[in-house]
Amino acid sequence: MRIFAAIFATFLLVAPASAQIISPSEMLRSSVTNFIRPQTKAFATRTAELSKAMYVLCENGDLTAAQEAFAKAATAYGRIEFLRVGPLMEDNRSDRILFFPDRKGIGLRQVQQLLAEADPTAATVPGLQQKSVAVQGFGALEFVLFGTGFETLTTSDGAFRCAYGAAVAKNLEEIASDIAAGWADPDGIAKRLTQPDPAYADYRTTTESLEAIVGLVSHGIEAVRDTRINPFIAKGDGKANPKLALFWRSNQTLPMLKANFDGLRRLIELSSVVTDPALAEEVTAAFARADAAFAVVTSPVEEAVTDPAQAAALNDLVIATQDLQRLIGEELSATLGLSVGFSSLDGD
Amino acid sequence: MWQRRAFLKSAGAGFLASLAPRQLLALEANDLVFASSIQTSAGKYGAVLMGERGDVISMIDLPDRGHDITISREAGRGVVFARQPGTFALVFDPFGNEAPQTLTSVEGRHFFGHGVFSPDGRLLYATESDFEAAQGVIGIYDATDSYRRIGEFPTYGTGPHEMLLMPDGVTFVVANGGIETHPDYGRAELNIDTMDPSVVFIDRRDGKLIGQLRLEAGLHQLSIRHMAVDVQNRVWFGCQYKGAPSETPQLIGYATMDGEIRLIELPTDTLRDLRNYVGSVAASTDGSTIAVSSPEGDLLIAIDAEQKRPVLVETLRNGCGLAADQTGFIATSGKGEMIGIAGAERPQQQFDFLFDNHMLRLG
Repeated sequence: MRIFAAIFATFLLVAPASAQIISPSEMLRSSVTNFIRPQTKAFATRTAELSKAMYVLCENGDLTAAQEAFAKAATAYGRIEFLRVGPLMEDNRSDRILFFPDRKGIGLRQVQQLLAEADPTAATVPGLQQKSVAVQGFGALEFVLFGTGFETLTTSDGAFRCAYGAAVAKNLEEIASDIAAGWADPDGIAKRLTQPDPAYADYRTTTESLEAIVGLVSHGIEAVRDTRINPFIAKGDGKANPKLALFWRSNQTLPMLKANFDGLRRLIELSSVVTDPALAEEVTAAFARADAAFAVVTSPVEEAVTDPAQAAALNDLVIATQDLQRLIGEELSATLGLSVGFSSLDGD
Repeated sequence: MWQRRAFLKSAGAGFLASLAPRQLLALEANDLVFASSIQTSAGKYGAVLMGERGDVISMIDLPDRGHDITISREAGRGVVFARQPGTFALVFDPFGNEAPQTLTSVEGRHFFGHGVFSPDGRLLYATESDFEAAQGVIGIYDATDSYRRIGEFPTYGTGPHEMLLMPDGVTFVVANGGIETHPDYGRAELNIDTMDPSVVFIDRRDGKLIGQLRLEAGLHQLSIRHMAVDVQNRVWFGCQYKGAPSETPQLIGYATMDGEIRLIELPTDTLRDLRNYVGSVAASTDGSTIAVSSPEGDLLIAIDAEQKRPVLVETLRNGCGLAADQTGFIATSGKGEMIGIAGAERPQQQFDFLFDNHMLRLG
């Protein structure tokens, strides 16, 4: 199975230039069947594993396994976090999974306070769900597992910290399961997106559905650049700020970024929305540029920003996002006859 | 920079240059003039001034995407504000006799895309963000001194969007959308879970808060953004919902200086087609009808302000810009179309540029 998947993935990477032209309906169906459903399911699986690993940590003190499970669950989310329609946008789920950027450090402050007070209501899922979104998800769990005092997790002093972390992981498992269920529901958003109907509130026509898919990718690329890369790399003033990077404590900044690019690329490829061979080549080249940059950035983010070669590679990632936004948001939209919505989708 | 196409064609440059302001006003009285930010077919940004028949009077280049425009006869100037989080505002002479002047937002502030002049045209006000503090401010500019920024008032909220001057000439009404953004993070919305939108009335003379109105707490993710004042001085507003997309709260309401704030009930189908997004709000010339638009739902609605119910629903793909003409409204779209609705009789027109979200009628 795995070998097949690997061959399939390799094929896809080289395929776009000669991609078959498929109908918009097939593009939509493929987006859901080949990307959204399996990837939301994978996120649910990884968070269930994380939840189990946290339980084991609290019982037997296996910290490394819990930290590794954190990384796997977080990057599984990185592949789908741009799917900002449907279940992810219900019940503040996206903020509860990951409240970021947290410009004022609200989450850190609240988590530290909660740990200092050993607030027992934070150690149960129902109690946790009543609290600020900033203490419910990956940001909070990262501090538990990697932040100041994480060593206590394997001692009796860290019992509350561990119980709180386990509640966060369980909460993530529940949310991820709801998201996967939402997409799996045969009468839910998957149906409305793939078989649009004028009677639906969200997707009335195939064009609107395709606009949604292309819009998700285009906005996803923009969000990666604006919230995950630009804030911490050196810009005009020449000063980098690696502590503004997501997951610098766990050294998951770059794996998360890679997962973001990977998810976006997979949706583009698996949906076959890029039918024009020349455009497909350019999209492949832009992702290759990102891959080349990722290969250079090998140090933890604090060191990477001070090393000229790695800092330049991080800048290259920004350029890759700019290329992709032009290719997807403008050229692909034009090719598909979609409206990029000059007057809409911009919160103005 | 100005291209006085229609005028140059019909009357020659000499005619325009020799027009005295009084004559120009007379021209406006006979022939409505509209203004809007645009994107050209080449992807460049600009603003356009057009006659009521859709004839382009002049076009101006902008360094980046513009948003709303305000005009003062008294100042003899119009201002295009950069779309948020832009840092420029362009002051222009609507009749093209003077070169435009670019204002740059001061350190720690950016524009939100809307603003107004004082009734005497001596001061310009703009909604701005104090983004470090995540607080809205009204920037105050001296139109008699090269638009020097002379101070600011708070808006008593986060993410102010449209501001209007009430007919009394001394009260501002500001829609605090409630959404925190920061230039370090592009257009990312940073506080969706804790949004606190409001409509505020502020004294133009000293910046004091006269009143702050909020919808019920359960609607704290309903961002109040655009407004228009009706004949009874009710401030009609349109909202954008940032909560779960499966929810469809009412999106249109009004607030009064007596402290009333409420949402009106739109029929389920109409509400659904707004897609949780109202892009602009305008009042008819007599102030008895309010028009709202949703470029997301391709929908335009006209509402009887007295009856507080819709009287007309039309579709316009990506339609957003709205301005009153003598008998109804003109509506423009992000696809470059212009139509008339709710009593405005005009042919549908297609332009070779795309209209931004707002249309302004001069005078």
